[in-house]
Amino acid sequence: MNQTRASHQILRRMIKKSSYVAFGLLLPALTALAQDDSGPNYGDILQGFADPSRWLTYSGDYSGQRHSPLKQINTENVASLRPVWTFQTGTTTRGRGFETTPLVDDGVLYVTGSNNYAWAIDARTGRRFWQYRRNLPEDLTYGASAPVNRGFGMLGNSLFMVTLDAHLLAFDRRNGDILWDVELADYRVGYASTGAPLVLDGKVITGISGGEYATRGFIDAYDPASGERLWRFNTIPGPGEPGSETWPDDPEILAKGGGGTWMNGSFDPELNLIYWGVGNPNPDYYGDSRPGDNLYSNSLVALDADTGELKWHYQFTPHDLNDWDSNHMPVLADIQWQGEQRKVVMVGNRNGFFYVLDRVSGEFLLGKPFTATTWAREIGEDGRPIVLNDGSKGCLPDPWGSTNFMPPSFYPELGLFYLTARETCATIVPEEPTLEPGRASFGGVVFIDPEQGSGALRALDVQTGELRWEFTYPSPTFGGVLTTAAGLVFAGDHEGNFMAFDAVNGENLWHYQTGSRIWGAGAMTHILDGRQYVLIPSGTTLTAFALPER
Amino acid sequence: MSSESISYQVRIKLLQPALFLVALAVFSIASNASAQQTNPLASDPRAAGAGGVLFRAQCATCHGADAKGISSIDAPDLTMMWQQAGMDENRVFTRIQDGVPGSIMPAHDFPDTEIWMLVSYLRSVAVSGATEEFTGDAENGGRLFTAHCIECHRAGSGGGSLGPNLERITQRRSQAALRGSIREPNSSIGRGYKPIVLSTLGDTEVRGIIKGEDAFSIQILDSNQRLRGFAKSQLLSSDRDIDSLMPAFPEQQLSEKQLDDILSFLYQQR
Repeated sequence: MNQTRASHQILRRMIKKSSYVAFGLLLPALTALAQDDSGPNYGDILQGFADPSRWLTYSGDYSGQRHSPLKQINTENVASLRPVWTFQTGTTTRGRGFETTPLVDDGVLYVTGSNNYAWAIDARTGRRFWQYRRNLPEDLTYGASAPVNRGFGMLGNSLFMVTLDAHLLAFDRRNGDILWDVELADYRVGYASTGAPLVLDGKVITGISGGEYATRGFIDAYDPASGERLWRFNTIPGPGEPGSETWPDDPEILAKGGGGTWMNGSFDPELNLIYWGVGNPNPDYYGDSRPGDNLYSNSLVALDADTGELKWHYQFTPHDLNDWDSNHMPVLADIQWQGEQRKVVMVGNRNGFFYVLDRVSGEFLLGKPFTATTWAREIGEDGRPIVLNDGSKGCLPDPWGSTNFMPPSFYPELGLFYLTARETCATIVPEEPTLEPGRASFGGVVFIDPEQGSGALRALDVQTGELRWEFTYPSPTFGGVLTTAAGLVFAGDHEGNFMAFDAVNGENLWHYQTGSRIWGAGAMTHILDGRQYVLIPSGTTLTAFALPER
Repeated sequence: MSSESISYQVRIKLLQPALFLVALAVFSIASNASAQQTNPLASDPRAAGAGGVLFRAQCATCHGADAKGISSIDAPDLTMMWQQAGMDENRVFTRIQDGVPGSIMPAHDFPDTEIWMLVSYLRSVAVSGATEEFTGDAENGGRLFTAHCIECHRAGSGGGSLGPNLERITQRRSQAALRGSIREPNSSIGRGYKPIVLSTLGDTEVRGIIKGEDAFSIQILDSNQRLRGFAKSQLLSSDRDIDSLMPAFPEQQLSEKQLDDILSFLYQQR
C-alpha cells in the first residue's frame, strides 16, 4: 500500500512538473488532457494587466496599484454604464461587508464570500458553476466577529483561500473540490484568517488576524502543491531577537503581542521583496503593560520572498494606543522623486497620514495628513511622528481610522493616489484587561462622537501629499477604489452607491445604487468577448456592469 | 416493522400532548437533560421509530421523508452528515435545538426527549461507511486506477475533475453500487454530472457535464475539464439524451478480480 501511494505521489509530481507532452508520453491514455486548460502560471500573474481579460491576484497585479489599462469605458460613455447581471450570494456579514475581489480567467470568475462560501461564476451571465461552503466550528473566536474574506489566490488549476478557523485551503478550480487543507494556527486561541493569499513562484503567502486577541501575528509561505509550510515571519519578535528591545523583557507579553497581518501584501519581483502591513499590538488601547515602540506592530515590513527574512521595516505608529492597524494594501510604483527615479511604496494609513517610502531601503520620504488628525500633525526628520495627543483628549481619527484596509488606487500617468478618507472623532478611555486565550482584550472603551463623521474620496498628489480634489460622502465610508487608464475612478460608499469619477477633476460622471453599503471591497474590471466589465461586491450581491451592446 | 413499534407510533400519534410524560415514564430521563449528555435513548430500539414519526411530521418538508435532503432549498442530506468531521450526537442535538443561524433551519422548542428521539432516528438512517470487506489487491488496483480512471476522477491527491472525487466513495456507497456504476455508468448519473452535447453556432460540438442552467444560458464543465458558459441563443442545439461521459467497463475490459482490486485501492484512499 505504501508503495502504491508512493508511486502515485511520484506520478502526481511528474504530472505537475512535466509539460503535457511528457505527460502524454508517460500515459498515452491521457492524451485527451493535452487540450486541458492548465490555468495561469506564475509568469501570467507576473504579467499583471498585460492580458486584461484576466485578473489573477487581489489587486490585478503585484503592484497593488489597482489601475487597469482598459479604456472601452471612458469619461464620455460611462454615463450609459448599466448592470448586466447580479449574483446573489445568500450569505452575509451583518455590520461589515462583502469584501472580496473576484479573480477572472478564461471567462470564469472565482469569488469568495462571507462565512467561507466560495463560487465559480460564468463572467458572461453571472450564473454559478459551483459553490463551496465550509463547515465551520461553532466556537469560532476572531472569525465569529469578522466572518469575511477578501478573495482567492490562483495558480494553475488551483485556488487558495483562507478560513475563519485559520486554515489555508487549496481548491480544484474546476469543481470546487478541496485539494489540501492546512492549519495556520489554533482558532480557539483567537486566530482567524480573512485576506486574499498572495501567490508567487512556488509560494502561497498568507497572513493572520488579529491584535484584538492575545495572539502573535505572522506571515507564512506555503508550497502550492502540497500545502507544506516553507517559512514563517513572526511579526512580534521572540525574546532576544531584533525588535524585542522595543518590548518589556517578558516572553509572555511577546507571545501575546498582537500584530495581525490580515490584509494582503504586494510584491516586487525584481527586488524579490514582499511588502505587508502589520496590525496593532495587544491590548489595543491599554499600553502600560507594553512600554516601548512594540515592533513590528503598526509597521510595513519588507520580507525576502524566498526566506521570509526581514529586509527593512517602517513603523507608522510607535506604541499604538488607538487600534490603528497598518493592514493596508501597500502600493508600489516607480516615480520621479525630486529629480531622480525612485522605487517607492505608498501607504494611506489608518493613523491619518499618507506616506511615501523608498521600497529598496525603507527610507522615509514623505508623511502628510490627509484627514483631520489631533494625535500628530507632522512626521519628524527621523521618520517618527511628533505625538500631540495619546487619545485621552479626543478627536483623533477613531479606531476605524482615517482610512482602512479598503484598497486605494494609484494612477501613474497622473501621479495621483486615490483613497477613501474618513473624518471621525473619538475619545479613548484605557482600562487594563485580563488576557485569556479565546477572549478579545481591547483594553479600554472608545467613545465615538456620532455628531462628527463624514467620508470622502480624495485624490492626493504623491509628490507632496496635497489634496488635489475630493468628493464628499455623508458618512464615514469603507468602500475601495479602482482606476482605469481611460481617466476614470470607480469608488463605492457607505450609502450603497457605486460611482464613477473623472480622475483629473473629481467630477461625478455616473452612479448606481446597489442597495447595500459597499464595504471593504474595491471594484475590479476585465474584458471578455470584446466587452469591458466592471464588478463590485455589495451586501449579498456581486454586480457586473458594462456599456449597452450595440 | 414489528407490531410493538407500530403500536408505539400509534401511541405517540394519539397521545401527542402527553408524549413527554410517556417518554419520561418509559425512558426515565430528567426533563432538563443537557445537550452535553450522551443520547439517553441510545440503547432503546423504539427510539428510532418514534423519532422517525416525529421526523416525518416536523422535518420531512425540508429534508425529505427519507432524510436525504431537498437540493432546491439547499436542505442537506442528513444520512450523510455523520461523516462530517466533528459530527456527533451532541452536535446534531444542538443543531436541532438551536437551528442554523442565517438559514431556513429554525430553532426547535421540543422537549429534550423528542430531540433525542430524532437523533436516534437520524443515527438509524446514517450512511455510515463501509463495513464490508475489501479483498482485492490494492496495489494492482492503484495501477488500474492510473490507467483507467485518473483522467477524470480524483483519489488521494491527484487525478481529474470531470467525474466525482472518489477519495471517500467507499464510505458513501456500497461495493455493489460501485460495481454497478463501473460496469454500467448510465444506470445512475449523479447530480452535477449529467452529460450534454452542445452544438455551437460556429458548428463545433462541445461535450460536457451540466453545472448550471437558466432560461438563457447554460454552464458546463467540458470534456477537456474547462468551465464554460454558453448563451442558449448562441447554440444550434443541445442534446441531453446521451450516455454518461464515463465509459462502461464490461467484464472483457475489467475482470471481476481487477474490479475488486480497484475497489480495494479506493478503500485505502478514504
